[in-house]
Amino acid sequence: MTCIKVKDLKKSYGSLQAVDGISFEVRPGEIYGLLGPNGAGKTTTIEMLVGLRTRDSGTVDILGYDPQVAPEKVKSGIGVQLQSPAMFPRLTVLELVELFASFYQDPLPVDEVIEMVGLTEKKKAQSRKLSGGQMHRLAIALAIVSNGRIIFLDEPTTGLDPQARRNLWEVILGLKKSGKAVFLTTHYMDEAEKLCDWVAIVDQGRIIAEGHPETLIDEHFKERALEFEQPAYVNEKRLEKLTGVKKIVTDGDLVTLYTETVSQTIAELFDLAKETGQPVNDIAVRRSTLEDLFLKLTGRRIRE
Amino acid sequence: MKTFFKLFAAQAKELLRDRMSLFWYIAFPVIFILIFGAIFSGGTNLNFEVGIAAESEGPVSQGIVQAFEAVESFTMHTGSREEELEALRAGNRSAVLVIPAAVEQLVSVPGGMPGQGASSSIAEPVKVEVLYDKGQQQTTSIVLSIVDQLLEGIEQQLTGKTRLLVADQKPVAAEQLRDIDFLLPGILAMAIMQLGLFGSFNIVSLREKKVLKSLGATPLPRVMLLGSEILVRVLLSLFQTLLIIIIGRLVFDVQVTGPWYQVIATVLLGSVTFISFGYLLTLFSKSEESGIGLVQLVQFPMMFFAGIFFPTTFMPDFLQPLVKIIPLTYLGDLLRHVMVSMPTEYPIVTSLLVLGGVTVVSVIGSVLLWRWE
Repeated sequence: MTCIKVKDLKKSYGSLQAVDGISFEVRPGEIYGLLGPNGAGKTTTIEMLVGLRTRDSGTVDILGYDPQVAPEKVKSGIGVQLQSPAMFPRLTVLELVELFASFYQDPLPVDEVIEMVGLTEKKKAQSRKLSGGQMHRLAIALAIVSNGRIIFLDEPTTGLDPQARRNLWEVILGLKKSGKAVFLTTHYMDEAEKLCDWVAIVDQGRIIAEGHPETLIDEHFKERALEFEQPAYVNEKRLEKLTGVKKIVTDGDLVTLYTETVSQTIAELFDLAKETGQPVNDIAVRRSTLEDLFLKLTGRRIRE
Repeated sequence: MKTFFKLFAAQAKELLRDRMSLFWYIAFPVIFILIFGAIFSGGTNLNFEVGIAAESEGPVSQGIVQAFEAVESFTMHTGSREEELEALRAGNRSAVLVIPAAVEQLVSVPGGMPGQGASSSIAEPVKVEVLYDKGQQQTTSIVLSIVDQLLEGIEQQLTGKTRLLVADQKPVAAEQLRDIDFLLPGILAMAIMQLGLFGSFNIVSLREKKVLKSLGATPLPRVMLLGSEILVRVLLSLFQTLLIIIIGRLVFDVQVTGPWYQVIATVLLGSVTFISFGYLLTLFSKSEESGIGLVQLVQFPMMFFAGIFFPTTFMPDFLQPLVKIIPLTYLGDLLRHVMVSMPTEYPIVTSLLVLGGVTVVSVIGSVLLWRWE
């Protein structure tokens, strides 16, 4: 059983192919993440799914309906949080959540939703007086109150402090627990790893990798990532010859070596440093992440 | 219905809490009335220079001349037909009346000669010539209505007959037309226009801030969004009307003579017209700032060329076509008619059709060109 089924979705703006043939499926109780850098086509995709934008080609099925054919059927079954949150500036948090609740057949209790996103203390505050993070949480409350079977969240945690992010993750996991499907976009790879049951990495309008986050990483990396700052003139060719090194990615002074034999590579790296008389700074070893995966697949960092 | 009510309440709260805009909407026309009222209410009544040329100096002719001299809004000039016509051509008269010698025969002299008297005058009414400049439509229509009324009264006195049928709605104002009477409905029309045009910018601002986009992703139908927004604005217009009428009554003693339902109906039509016209304009502007510029561009000519502050006949001929294409002209004309019983310059049906037409075109345009972002 699927609640979102997308096939070969395409959208272009003039000569820019924003979405270039995306296909995927989402099931109830699943958190599906669309990851990618800004401009990868994530927002365009979400807007086509919720009926705000028309597509050029492909098929979309949300809860059994095509958002372009029956937008009202789709919209009444989903909750949506869009980027750049803004609301009627002079209405209070409570008034706004109540207003949005009135749009839907069977909304969640208003107070409960406000509590979920941690805005109970700000209930009586006008939306223009809220901070960026609070505004963001309000936007999510407005999506959740719909009690829709799918909740769409476009970059839900962008601009939030770490504590607020973690709180929001709890809310999103809670939605999953109550049997809803959550479709979110993010450019935080750690967020995707924590939350998502399934991720699709998008770049330039295409899905370049897809799967369960851990499986996806294991498939692509047997090696660990060795990160350090390197003096500009150290020869990349010398680094490549170090034992175990599979791949080198440089980003300014920052070098990432992917190696299957961490300790030996480190030892040889220090020898090399001694030989050239240049220190190796800020060395760190870590497990590969989705970030590394993106880097490996595209040669670019996700936030550029 | 619950959704509509919630949305209506939300938009009303949004408006009422925006003190600055509220002040602008409500205080601006009030200030306008007070200032213009103070300028024009210094005893200077709306005055018409009327010439009268009596061909006979008999008692009836003199009686008629006296009756006209008693009219407050008329400054009478007596002279020969030629002199007065000359003055009319020179633009120094609004109208010239020529009282024929025949009027003297209207009075039946007791025991008078046979074949002369009231009975013969009924068969052949005496014609009082009224000459006027046909370029000055509005002035003329006011003058003519007063002249008509007076002649009717004089005739009654002469024949000694009481009329069997009397129109109940005598244009009371006609005898006491002051500048402020002309001005007040005009300022109301202006206020309705401004409320409509500027008020619609709320939507542009919501669109720019992507509030509309967020609403667009909910099942809320756009008709409901527009409908509740229009309702809020219309109610504000009604409130504004009430305020303007009260100030007119208390400060300047302007009596609203027309039936209240006609006044309300006209205000409703006008505000719906300009609100929907405003929405159409907003769809042509990318940002709130550029939109306000666009509205200024539209509303300034309307304000000055629609005959709000003075009769459009004061304007040169080459501007007359402009006057006629401005919807505000027709709203002002209608409001003057229903509020202070001023004779309309354009047929009422024409005005209703113009305002209704602008509304229909604007609504269809707004719905077709609607953008959530």
